[in-house]
Amino acid sequence: MVPAQAGRGPGDAVMSAQLEQQQAPPNATEMMRIAVGLTLTCLAAAIVLGFFFYLTEPAKVRNIQAREQAMIQTLLALTPAARIHEVRRYLHWKGQTLEVLYLTPRALVRVDEAGNPLDTREVPAEVAAEKSPDHKDAWVRQSAGAGENANFNYAGRFFIGEQDGAVAGYVVEGSTPGYKTWIRYFLAIDARFGVQGLEVIEHEEDPGLGAEITQRYFKNQYAGRRFEQIDAIEVIKDPLPNDWRKRLEQLGDMDLDSWVRENRAEIDAHPQIHAITGSTISSVAVTNGVKRSLRNFRKRMRIVEAYL
Amino acid sequence: MTKAPPPVSTMIMRGIFEENPVFRLALSLCPAVAVTTSVKNGLMLGVAVFVVQVLSSVSASALKGIINPKIRIPIFTIIIAIWVTVMDMTLAAYFPVTYQQVGLYVKLIVAFAIIISRMELFSMKHNIVPSFWDGFGMGLGFLVAMVLAGAFRELLGSGSLFGFEIVAFKPLLLVILPAGGFFTIGLIMVLYNWVDLRLGHKLPEEKVGGGCHH
Repeated sequence: MVPAQAGRGPGDAVMSAQLEQQQAPPNATEMMRIAVGLTLTCLAAAIVLGFFFYLTEPAKVRNIQAREQAMIQTLLALTPAARIHEVRRYLHWKGQTLEVLYLTPRALVRVDEAGNPLDTREVPAEVAAEKSPDHKDAWVRQSAGAGENANFNYAGRFFIGEQDGAVAGYVVEGSTPGYKTWIRYFLAIDARFGVQGLEVIEHEEDPGLGAEITQRYFKNQYAGRRFEQIDAIEVIKDPLPNDWRKRLEQLGDMDLDSWVRENRAEIDAHPQIHAITGSTISSVAVTNGVKRSLRNFRKRMRIVEAYL
Repeated sequence: MTKAPPPVSTMIMRGIFEENPVFRLALSLCPAVAVTTSVKNGLMLGVAVFVVQVLSSVSASALKGIINPKIRIPIFTIIIAIWVTVMDMTLAAYFPVTYQQVGLYVKLIVAFAIIISRMELFSMKHNIVPSFWDGFGMGLGFLVAMVLAGAFRELLGSGSLFGFEIVAFKPLLLVILPAGGFFTIGLIMVLYNWVDLRLGHKLPEEKVGGGCHH
């Protein structure tokens, strides 16, 4: 606080009075006014944000779905005429017993923890045609007899690509703990539980290091391998041989079937996954995720196969 | 207490030339350097900042009656954050491809010095219409700066413009790297000052800030 001194101009006195007022602790009225001002601002903010959220959310969801569909099409080499079906999985705890539910395009399958079927229920046409996942989940929750607060959780999904009336392959959505947060990926699987391809959707690994998991030379190392090969796979730190790397980078420019046929010997000659230089953690994370997804898919597929 | 605003044309030209946020005030240099590796990215961030600047300036002016000066900074931040979030949601919904490239920087606009400084320096003292034009001028100035720097860097760094190949080689790879971004902005600053000198003005030494203000 600057005391008003003799010898100063009248302007200084005004200045110091203002300064004094600004530095004094606020009284009750002022506190009230601040609180009301802040509340009004936040209220207006909530209204604006809510309005724009309501306006843009459907388009955003459509964009994400379109992106997923495009990714599945590329992974399974489908034509635009192909159909993609979704299977959603749910966990329902009834006290100590766990029930697993699968929502396929045709049926809602209820199984116990060991995978033994309990019962099935037909899916109404309007639920099957429903685009919004929230509505599907709500229908399943209701059908399972799970109340609002029951232990009922959505637990992942996979897609079936159908080309000209025949199954062209499956895509599993999976996630695995990476170096920082979860790495989300799409894993394309063929009818014999081999890997067709891998696409990383979302990750926060470091640029230039872990972020390299999105590069062809890394993710294509999984392609064309049979179930047993993936199950036994290990991550090694040896640098990726140059000619193998060149071949890996070709996949994407050429289709999977001819790439696998051409490179069968090479794939078998490199039974291990070469880690990205300096990013063993990210490499191991992806490999573990692929292994786990594949094993789980094999188990789950046996359960729902009859209801697809 | 509202001051008489300068004419509209002055306010717009001021944002583009005399007080250009990037080239004269040296504000928001970090995002400017990070994003301007191509015209398209620069343009997208420029448009986003433009919209946020105009809306924030207008909102601050409209709310100045209930903004207590003691808590003006948090209120400014709330206002900016609202419009940045609106921009973010709009881009994600209607421009998904571009959003994937500049999405990260759009969220960062909350911390851009230029926006909050215009609210503090102009909107709090003026009515809605002049605040709109001040925000318009400043936002446009930032947009122009982004496009200029983006064009310079894309042309010299990748030999293309708007993604279309102009020359088959990369004339000067350095300018596309982060260090090149600072060189580019420095060079355009020189150009601005040179034009200003030719027009008979004095160099605005006291105006130039410097450093990496977001």
